Amino acid sequence: MNPASQTQPETIVSVPIARWATVAAPSCLRTLLGSCVGVAVYDLTARVGGLAHVLLPDSRGQTDQPGKYADTAILALVAEIEAKLKGKPRSRLVAKIAGGANMFATTSAMSIGEQNVLATESILSRMDIKILARHTGGETGRRMTLDPKTGVVEIRIPGGGDVTL
Amino acid sequence: MSEHSPDPSTQRLHLIFDRGAENASQAFSRWLGHNVSLQIGEVDRVGLAEAVDAMGPGETLVAACAMEVFGPLDGQLLLIFEDQAGLSLVDLLMRMPLGTSRSWGELEQSAARETANIVGCAYLNALAHHLPGAVGSLVPGPPLFRHEFVGSLLEFALQDQAVNSDELLLIRTRFRATSDLLEWSLVFVPSGASVVKLSQILSPRDLG
Repeated sequence: MNPASQTQPETIVSVPIARWATVAAPSCLRTLLGSCVGVAVYDLTARVGGLAHVLLPDSRGQTDQPGKYADTAILALVAEIEAKLKGKPRSRLVAKIAGGANMFATTSAMSIGEQNVLATESILSRMDIKILARHTGGETGRRMTLDPKTGVVEIRIPGGGDVTL
Repeated sequence: MSEHSPDPSTQRLHLIFDRGAENASQAFSRWLGHNVSLQIGEVDRVGLAEAVDAMGPGETLVAACAMEVFGPLDGQLLLIFEDQAGLSLVDLLMRMPLGTSRSWGELEQSAARETANIVGCAYLNALAHHLPGAVGSLVPGPPLFRHEFVGSLLEFALQDQAVNSDELLLIRTRFRATSDLLEWSLVFVPSGASVVKLSQILSPRDLG
């Protein structure tokens, strides 16, 4: 079990880089993103949701750090949500994604943010999980918060306003 | 120093990067016209989550100038200021009373970029000079200014190393001028390939 999943009621659970966590309402999930992608998946009826903080697009078969890569992290995230749903259909799951910034355009890492977004979209599509909203790309970091009670994702941009997805 | 007992190559790395920091401190002092002292130099080999929090809570809003480093050792060099300290730096540079600058306009950003350029060049010149085996010149790219969450900045800078390793190397130096309120940090994050190269350069057989 992912250690970040241990929650207290009515708290905001921080999701560290390359980890995921799942909670039931009224708890919320929060993470801080740069070129990483935050993948929020939730079931609004059950008020259960999860958030993965994906660092890189492809595990290339590595299994030791599942939270680090889009392919392994999203699979693990959805499996943990399904375990919490106790047999309810996966078809109710939907997603919202954020992040994938290219903060310093001259770096060799310039395309990783975009690759993370593309990989995330592709994996969610293969799993038949619809992306309801996204706030990706650009040059700034983001603070992403999921409330599984409402399905609302709040995005805070440094020095800017909040965006609601 | 890191909490863990450093191995010989880390100790050597620490000494070399301290030389860079001393040179940067002197350049900083000349540029500001005030004495800038070197507070702490740290060489950390840490896990991902720990690395992202290395400069304090990730949501702390900072001003930063980032320079890509080119040459035999590449990576990212970040000059990071907490908001008020950064604006105080501008006041010192402009010979204005502390507290005069209140936001990051074009003039303030330009002053920060110029500072990063001067300090970064001094730091990299000293590194290139003191690394064993004459590694060659280390050249900084043009500084880019960002007003950003410190955790997001570090996440981005560390990404290249994280591709191939879960233990990350970052080198931090803290400077202080005039008072406790005026502190800045210089953070060097070598690329993944440069971490490998550093370990080769500093292998025991090369330490003499």
